[in-house]
Amino acid sequence: MTENPALRVTRVSRSFGGVHAVDGCSFEVRQGTITGLIGPNGAGKSTMLNLLAGALRPDQGSIHFFGSEIAHLPAFRIARQGMARTFQLSSEFARMTVLENLMVAPLHQRGDSLWAAVLGPRAWRREERDHVESAWRLLQRFNLGHLVHEYAGNLSGGQKRLLELARALQMKPRLLLLDEPMAGVNPALISQLADYIAELKGEGLTVVMVEHEMGTVERLCDPVIVMAQGRVLAEGSMAEIRANPAVVTAYLSGQR
Amino acid sequence: MSDAVTYYVITLLVYMGCNVMFVLGLNLQFGLANIINFSYYILVAVGGYFAGLVVLGPAQPVESGGTEYLFGWTLPWPLPVAVAGLTGAVLALLVGVIAVRRLRSDYLAVATLVVGDVTWLLTGNTTSLVNGWNGLTGIPQPLADTLNLPQLQYQWVYLGIVLGFALLSFLLMQRLTHSPFGRSLRAIRENEYTAAACGKDVFRLRMMAMMIGGAIAAVGGALFIEFIGTVQPSMWNVPETFVIFAALIVGGRGNNWGAVLGAILVPVGFLEGSRLLPQDWIDPNLIDPLRWIIIGSVLILVLYFRPQGIFPEPKRRFRRILRQLAIDEGTSLTGKRKAGGGR
Repeated sequence: MTENPALRVTRVSRSFGGVHAVDGCSFEVRQGTITGLIGPNGAGKSTMLNLLAGALRPDQGSIHFFGSEIAHLPAFRIARQGMARTFQLSSEFARMTVLENLMVAPLHQRGDSLWAAVLGPRAWRREERDHVESAWRLLQRFNLGHLVHEYAGNLSGGQKRLLELARALQMKPRLLLLDEPMAGVNPALISQLADYIAELKGEGLTVVMVEHEMGTVERLCDPVIVMAQGRVLAEGSMAEIRANPAVVTAYLSGQR
Repeated sequence: MSDAVTYYVITLLVYMGCNVMFVLGLNLQFGLANIINFSYYILVAVGGYFAGLVVLGPAQPVESGGTEYLFGWTLPWPLPVAVAGLTGAVLALLVGVIAVRRLRSDYLAVATLVVGDVTWLLTGNTTSLVNGWNGLTGIPQPLADTLNLPQLQYQWVYLGIVLGFALLSFLLMQRLTHSPFGRSLRAIRENEYTAAACGKDVFRLRMMAMMIGGAIAAVGGALFIEFIGTVQPSMWNVPETFVIFAALIVGGRGNNWGAVLGAILVPVGFLEGSRLLPQDWIDPNLIDPLRWIIIGSVLILVLYFRPQGIFPEPKRRFRRILRQLAIDEGTSLTGKRKAGGGR
């Protein structure tokens, strides 16, 4: 018996009106991998990611996260089980500082409860200190150290991407979902971001990423799952995928 | 000071204290949790009404010249205030469950506006609940019998009570604002989907903000009604809600000091101050519309030139913790970790 997969997706479907955005998808994500999710526009990749994170609920099917069923849980409960995500569009807390953005992230904060808040900082000050410390380290690592007290809304697009990644890591997740992390990022930063993501894998984190930038997918992802029209079309290493005629057709012919 | 002036000053200060509570409660709901609750003044009113209902004696039948209302339990002070706070919290929760659960921003605002208006019309048009448009009168002043003070001295005591409650609300709000709880609320304000992705139970946190804000508003309403001894539907309606919103926006949304300043400037300063307009060259009929014009203009000016308010929300810098950490990192420099730029 092998260890639990980080994610096991079984015949998951979700439609919007008459559109079958995700149509009976099944796949597994092994622990410690960077699994890429690619496919032409409208293939259902982002919907799939939102289903995994609980931002959307599937119409059918089940999703197991390290063995426990999460398909019908709200997003915050899935997050509390250790699934962190970034968003396709920048989603920073704009009128909070960079450091504060990271202070929101840690799970199970004592001071988050009303009573702890009313009773005052004695109950949570120590914890707060630990969170500041880990936030500080992450910000140094992502070259945001000089911006700790800047409002997150004032950062550049690329810096916001880095901030999102740092915020997700501050949750100390077991699995990280990245929704097009390279979108709108300049080439120099792309390779830097890719380095970071590779490092995370080295630290034992499981990553699932939707990405259009093929160079990055090629470099980071193994295996790669190809989606088209809401279904899983192919699965395997990038070399296998490239040799698969169905994939080539799907990409060349688009959605139809 | 002549007695009349003293009375006026005390009245103004009591009015200020109550309004500080109103704006603080709204700061929790709107300033931190971003719930555009246009039924806010209903929470103030329900506090006033319930405090009145439980402190008055039993209702007398209408046939014998009495009025109709619920309860009439003759509760001793401060129980009426506690009842008010509780009902404010419960009503806020109801509004929240109805409106906040499914609706966002502008839709939420419209829904709460309607909830407020429906409540208002129901209250006014149903005499058996709280005596309709005539409202409740003769609400006894708290502890007046027990203390048995001369009227003027009693007013000072009452002012002390109001300011005490206002201070308590302020301290509570400061604690909430500067805790991880308040930080989570602000995160929800900025982006509720990201907040949920960080494991925050958005609905629950918002409901807590609704309830505590509602309780503060209702207690303020109770203290206000007990001071003037009467409560009618005409005292509160949609425009009063906007005065509180204006106060918070002018003072500084998300900043409790701003809320206090806004309460002093807008409801007290502009509404009361306009009494001092020279009556001989302004048509007295114009005074009331002029107040609203002034408040509206001030709001527009602030939104245009200083949208974050007079006291903007401060940046949290974690100075103390960072200072401690710098020391820690300094000591570990000689240890296992290498110097990495340091400061």
